[in-house]
Amino acid sequence: MAEKFDLNEREVWDGNYAASQAMRQAKVDVMAAYPITPSTPIVENYGAYVANGYIDGEFVMVESEHAAMSACVGASAAGGRVATATSSQGFALMVEVLYQASGMRLPIVLNVVNRALASPLNVRGDHADMYLGRDAGWIQFGAFNSQEAYDLALCAFKVAENHSVRLPVMIHQDGFITSHTAQNVYPLTDEAAYNFVGDIDPVDDMLDFSRPVTYGAQTEEDWHFEHKAKQHKAIMDSVPVIEEVFAEFEKISGRKYKRVETYMMEDAEVAIVALGTTVETSRVAAMKMREQGIKAGVVAPRVFRPFPFDLIRDALENVKSVAVLDRSSPGGAMGAFYNEISAALYTTPKRPLVTNYIYGLGGRDFAVQDAIDIYNEQKANADAGYITTDIQQFSGLRGPKLGFFQTKRS
Amino acid sequence: MQDPKLCATEKRGLHELEAGKDLMGWDEVTQGSVLPSFEGDASNIAHLKQEERDYSHFNSYTATVASWRVQKPVFNIDVCIDCQNCWVWCPDTSIISRDKQMLGIDYDHCKGCEVCVEVCPTNPKSLLMFSEQEDLETALSQWPEKKKKEK
Amino acid sequence: MIEIRWHSRAGQGAVTGAKSLGDIVATTGKEVQAFALYGSAKRGAALRAYNRIDDKPIITHEKFMYPDYVLVIDPALAMTDDITMNDKETTKYIITSHLNKEELIKEIPALEGKEDRVFVVDCIQISLDTIGRSIPNAPMLGAFVKVSGMFELDYFLENMKRVLAKFPQKIIDGNMQAITRAYNEVK
Repeated sequence: MAEKFDLNEREVWDGNYAASQAMRQAKVDVMAAYPITPSTPIVENYGAYVANGYIDGEFVMVESEHAAMSACVGASAAGGRVATATSSQGFALMVEVLYQASGMRLPIVLNVVNRALASPLNVRGDHADMYLGRDAGWIQFGAFNSQEAYDLALCAFKVAENHSVRLPVMIHQDGFITSHTAQNVYPLTDEAAYNFVGDIDPVDDMLDFSRPVTYGAQTEEDWHFEHKAKQHKAIMDSVPVIEEVFAEFEKISGRKYKRVETYMMEDAEVAIVALGTTVETSRVAAMKMREQGIKAGVVAPRVFRPFPFDLIRDALENVKSVAVLDRSSPGGAMGAFYNEISAALYTTPKRPLVTNYIYGLGGRDFAVQDAIDIYNEQKANADAGYITTDIQQFSGLRGPKLGFFQTKRS
Repeated sequence: MQDPKLCATEKRGLHELEAGKDLMGWDEVTQGSVLPSFEGDASNIAHLKQEERDYSHFNSYTATVASWRVQKPVFNIDVCIDCQNCWVWCPDTSIISRDKQMLGIDYDHCKGCEVCVEVCPTNPKSLLMFSEQEDLETALSQWPEKKKKEK
Repeated sequence: MIEIRWHSRAGQGAVTGAKSLGDIVATTGKEVQAFALYGSAKRGAALRAYNRIDDKPIITHEKFMYPDYVLVIDPALAMTDDITMNDKETTKYIITSHLNKEELIKEIPALEGKEDRVFVVDCIQISLDTIGRSIPNAPMLGAFVKVSGMFELDYFLENMKRVLAKFPQKIIDGNMQAITRAYNEVK
């Protein structure tokens, strides 16, 4: 019998601590981890909960993140509830096995505390690691603050383990900005949290000796395509389950999550589309713009994968000018997020103007004033009817102005 | 002389293992390419012999690779010392041995790689390669004599 | 919204101080944020920690702020760090020093003309006397309670005991003395 953990109705937790409490409440059976800044406390705390008797689980120490995710694959295939956490270089080392996990349809939960990728070495938050995993076949949730890092981690198990989904889920939070900022968090009781998540009901579990199975079959050109297509269909079809889980979570917590969050978008003429903490900072800027009479709003995918192509169009089709913010070095292209939003908007009748801002790399502060400057440029675009700036720009960068490509519309 | 269908069941080697056969659509393949090895409840099969188990069509037991072979190993029980070397080395578990007694070859799964012949320590060898079409009786009648040591 | 900026060296406990303050303020029903600008900094490196306090949920995540309070818990940083950066007409300063206010302001020209908003307390000496180590965060909290008038001292002490619950009694007692002394000695 696990020890009782004392919780207050209102706690002041940072994102890491909040996520680790969700791991405890979900009674994770196995966590295999190779801790890395800034996600270290998530796995460290889980280890302490196990050592101090708060949870009946197994902390597996391994020699690398590749091994960590490999051990998670094994434990999940065996039929356990499995989770871990990582960041940046650790995430990069995990990537190979991320594809294995999703291909084998294993419901592993991965807390990703987003951090820049070297070189140059940097421990702070940007989205380079998250982008690296975006084609890995995992469902990806985005938390904008500590409360959400907790809430979405609980939701993640329920979505992943659902028999019509059976896919791994990542919960992203911004390194240091969310992971190390203590804020008011209102946790569920242990009973309410576990009742919500429920027991895992394994599928094809290797510890079921009455039905031995082979995992990791080789499929060449005559089979591989069909398996990947089935997997893609499964992640696309996870939408109603995600929405159902969010609705159920709202019932017990009062906190409502949507696949795409929209703020002040009912009558918006200009909008920022962003991920992570930038969403909330941009909301502050949008309110200030509205004080000046500029109809500004914010759109943010809560669920980054499966990509909410449908809801992005609904949210933005009547906006005049949209700024898509990429917190990852694009490496010789437009920002990946920009490309995805643009593709969705290209299929709308009015095709809003869409510009791309690269910002906040390596944890560079994104201040309210930065968002205000972006809104002002969008307003200028909206008034002119075409993009008045370079299509891709850098926000918060020192040195001569850097930008690429100009519009062919006028 | 062994039976060519030694220990075989109806299911053993039922279908040809060959690319491009029995293909199905994305909606029919198994979730996560996870493949169950047996039909029905397999809780208490650890002690059962192959021919007593109910293998599923995903298991290689039900497939055959006999046609891949151009030469086949032939087993001579009169020379064999039951050392189990061939059983250990065979990459396709095609040596049929029961109670540490070598009985013969599973010709549905043997690809003719000749490893068993290589590792056989007897003099003459208890396993030798013959052309695929040679019948077992003729093969055994051509078995070489023990090689004499040179003085 | 009240915004607080701590100037500290890694190891002096500014991050813990900011989190403890956030924890206690939250018990009054307010929304809080406590964060820091650090990462791979070594012990002794200058760092800044921050608090935000508001009646409604705090959604900004910028590090930039116009602080209402500047808390300096390292005496040398008061001279070398830009402690008046982005300050306001009303920004209050609480600075750790063995100097008195006049002597201190003479050393820091940026504080001239802000005399009525500068408060001095020797957090280093107080922590050495009460906790036995140079951990100036707890006394700074005592001084902040006095200068801000945000809490009754007893309420703050009671809640601080809860925050420190996992520590040995000796440490808790030392912290209580440190907070009380700084509360009484800040000028």
